Amino acid sequence: MSTGDADPAAGDDEGPGLYVESTIIMTTVRLVAPFILTFALFIMFHGADSPGGGFQGGVIAGSVVMMLAFAYGIDSTRQWLDVRVVSALASGGVFAFVGIGLGAMALGGQFLQYAEFEALFGHAIKYAIELVELGIGAIVAAVAIGLFFLLAAGFDGVAEGDSS
Amino acid sequence: MIDHLIVLLVVLPILGAAVPPLASLRYDRVGWAVATATALGHAALAGALAWTVWTDGVVRYAVGGFVAPYGIELVADGLTILLVALISAVSLGVLAYARHAGPHENSFYSQFLLLVAGLSGMTVTGDVFNLYVFLEITGLAAYGLVASGPGARSAVAALKYLIIGTIGASLYLLGVGYALAATGTLNMADLSDKLAAAGYDSTLVLTAFGLIVAGLLVKVALFPIHTWQPDAYADSPDSVSAFISALVSTVSAYALARVLFSVFTVDFLEAVPIARQALVAVACVSIVAGSALAVAQSDVQRMLAYSSVSQFGLVIAGFAIATPLAVVGATVHLVGHAVMKGGLFAATGIIERKTGATTVGGYAGIAGRAPAATGAFTLLALAMVGVPPAVGFMGKWYIVLGAVNAGSWPVVAVLLASTLLTLAYFARLAERLYFAKATIAPEAVAADGGERVSTAMIVTVVVAAVLAVGLAAAVPVIDQLIDMTVFELMLQ
Repeated sequence: MSTGDADPAAGDDEGPGLYVESTIIMTTVRLVAPFILTFALFIMFHGADSPGGGFQGGVIAGSVVMMLAFAYGIDSTRQWLDVRVVSALASGGVFAFVGIGLGAMALGGQFLQYAEFEALFGHAIKYAIELVELGIGAIVAAVAIGLFFLLAAGFDGVAEGDSS
Repeated sequence: MIDHLIVLLVVLPILGAAVPPLASLRYDRVGWAVATATALGHAALAGALAWTVWTDGVVRYAVGGFVAPYGIELVADGLTILLVALISAVSLGVLAYARHAGPHENSFYSQFLLLVAGLSGMTVTGDVFNLYVFLEITGLAAYGLVASGPGARSAVAALKYLIIGTIGASLYLLGVGYALAATGTLNMADLSDKLAAAGYDSTLVLTAFGLIVAGLLVKVALFPIHTWQPDAYADSPDSVSAFISALVSTVSAYALARVLFSVFTVDFLEAVPIARQALVAVACVSIVAGSALAVAQSDVQRMLAYSSVSQFGLVIAGFAIATPLAVVGATVHLVGHAVMKGGLFAATGIIERKTGATTVGGYAGIAGRAPAATGAFTLLALAMVGVPPAVGFMGKWYIVLGAVNAGSWPVVAVLLASTLLTLAYFARLAERLYFAKATIAPEAVAADGGERVSTAMIVTVVVAAVLAVGLAAAVPVIDQLIDMTVFELMLQ
């Protein structure tokens, strides 16, 4: 994983005492993170016909980034996971969802009528639902990550406008 | 294409809301353009849908091809197209206002479009659980918009709104759960049959009614569960105040009417008189308490907010009386109030920028310094009081007529008393604006520059004032739209 390359010292400018470098935590996180991400995808793919789905899977995927932030420092994680990635995940998820919905409409069905895709390739209903779940998962993960970064950034900017 | 209008009305704003986050990676202020393009598309769809319903009657749409009552159904009838047109018109007006007034962040316009999507969804849905989903989308977007103000006060107001609003939505969801337990269905049309079959005196049905109505009343903000509303309206940016005061409570009141007449139906209200009496009582208390609290305010925006508590009492009273006349009156007042209150909040924003006045005392003698805005403000205030021929008069007149016909004399007394109280707080303002000696020296504002106001902002307010009078001519149309609505109303 490329996270391993991130320099823990980059977290210096965080407030004192916020980040403590620990070999045990870093090693554990490095070992566990790929499995958690896989588990998140597992849950997302199970949205169609068993308990699970994009919401739950997305939160788990988002929690991976939070875990990395605890192990390697919030600022270095923020540099590693560019804001463009987070924005693209959130908007891309919406586009995937709406695209599948409108695609069914273009093929002559109702909005989100998955059966319309059957004419194009086999088992299209399942694939379309899985894609929608993945889209939802991407939105939820991106929003969870974005909220975490925003909260971690503190509220300095807000206090200024207090006089109004 | 024409069949899909109703679902596109919800999908288009969601699609538009996903654009600003991506666009903000390259451009700083692209949000307004995206929102305006989307709102124009939304208006075109709304117009086309209104035309389809007007000519061909009720439109039904099965999302995903799953037919009702198993799938989610979208329904557009007379009342739906009225509300959809209102949402489109107010969105465009607020965008014209926000072009200069801000907020200018891209994220603001994302939330703005999500709110439009949520409101459109609440209006077109024919499924009580789907209504909950859109209620939450509307709520979450509105909390975010309220928090977009610059100060910590707007953050606190948003938090308060979030907590109370979530409780309201949870009560509604709990009620839907009880209704599902009683009937096994979530489709509105199907529910109205199966609730009757389950028996209107069944505990499950009664509990469902109580919880659903209580949850929606929190969103409408009737006294005493209005406490989120004055802070949310007064502490948010002016564009947001105008937008949410015009639409969020309005669409919630529409949802309540939908639940009353399309789900529980008038048969339920007749079979369980206590439910109807309780609703009328809450509405009457809200009318009086809202007016009294409004009179007591010194801040103009808070006064307008409490005035909404009172006016929504009127609307709910009209719906609870449930005769065709009263329902037409309530609908006219619902739409009229949206235009008038949105216009009033927008006008207070202009007046504050031009003169620095925000309180009733500060409004003294400033009419000359912002003639167009104060003129529109006065006209809108008088329309809200119910001076004929404005739309405020038409709405109240029909509600009173309905109450007289139904023999609900206490409601008639409260309605007339509330008009006097409304006159008390608005006439006081109008009198100060034009006849009192200024308390804010003109130099004080000139010294700090006095923020500029764009022509579009003034035009928005003036158009609202013109509509407040002109909509009175649309009452026969609204009457006809109610006839085209899947409501079962009481016979006269």
